[in-house]
Amino acid sequence: MAYTYSKIASVTVGSGGASSIDFTSIPQTYTDLKVVLSTRDSRSSNGPGYLKLSINGSTSNFAYKSLFGYSSGPGDPNPSGTPAAGSDSGSGSSGNYASYAGGTNVQTANSFGNNEIYIPNYTSSNYKSISVDGVNETNGNYPYQNHLLANLWSNTAAITSLSIIPGSSPFLQYSTATLYGIRAEV
Amino acid sequence: MAIYSLKSKEVLSNLTAPANIDLGAMIPLMTTTLSSNATSVTFSNIPQNYEHLQIRAIARTDRAADTQDAINMRFNSDSGSNYSWHYISGNGSSVSSGAGSSASYIFNSVIGTAASSTAGMFGVSIIDILDYSNVNKYKTSRVFTGNDANGNGLCQIYSGSWRDLSSINTITFIPNVGSNIVQYSKFALYGIKRAGA
Repeated sequence: MAYTYSKIASVTVGSGGASSIDFTSIPQTYTDLKVVLSTRDSRSSNGPGYLKLSINGSTSNFAYKSLFGYSSGPGDPNPSGTPAAGSDSGSGSSGNYASYAGGTNVQTANSFGNNEIYIPNYTSSNYKSISVDGVNETNGNYPYQNHLLANLWSNTAAITSLSIIPGSSPFLQYSTATLYGIRAEV
Repeated sequence: MAIYSLKSKEVLSNLTAPANIDLGAMIPLMTTTLSSNATSVTFSNIPQNYEHLQIRAIARTDRAADTQDAINMRFNSDSGSNYSWHYISGNGSSVSSGAGSSASYIFNSVIGTAASSTAGMFGVSIIDILDYSNVNKYKTSRVFTGNDANGNGLCQIYSGSWRDLSSINTITFIPNVGSNIVQYSKFALYGIKRAGA
């Protein structure tokens, strides 16, 4: 029996950390893909907890626009040091960003970023639009708490593998990710 | 157990035992629809065998002389200063952001409409809490919430943290200013499975 929302694969990072979270041999029988991530990377200086994408082994042909909110704190891109919101974009070699809210080792202990990546029509022969919303938390001020991002993978191939790469390798122990398949029709 | 057709007098199939049925990844657990005003909404005895939780809410409070009211969130009845939150917000003409730390709740997990909004207008929210039963992690919530009152309105993304390693077994929603969450407000709790579960 087919269901509209099915779990495909899950990853939990062990004590040795992980340089990436990988989903391979993705079934081609769904309509959309969704990845839910609870992550923390090894970054030890103030700044964003980047999450980056690799699709079918490639980090090329990506471009994004993003909206983010941040509170004042060291490394805050807002020089006035007050809570604010901003927007930016990336392309080329800097185009494969998915989030700035992946969680880092500078934030409050035991705190992990909370992100969702949604890829509709991942098997189509069109370019792939990717929607990401993510947050991380710390008990105080820290840059890049909330992040919305739209990315475009300019490739007509169906997605068969997807990797999420930390901005500061590795992902730390207890980071998790689950891949879900969404069907348009049951 | 066989399913037997009385018409064709033949066995059609075998009934699968409930334990063998895969219900998909997103399972409805509890739903509260208020038949009258309530000072809070609580999900108790939350099953611990899922990976994540999602709450979908549509809500309004009785805050007087205002079109909006935050509905805050607490876990396991903890009212200590163990929460923090951050947000970005748009009102149709400008963007703002803000934060709170060492707070006694996660602020504004639902941006409800309030008494000065046109009757029948409610705010909506989707709340995702990942790894809610993982005792190695503090609990981080991600919230999309908004309302539109045909004039006033807000669209917001919130992060929230509960600095406690305990598994979440209770979630409570409380109006920030109003006395009550009003009739017809609805909160639905879903369990999200991990692969292999």
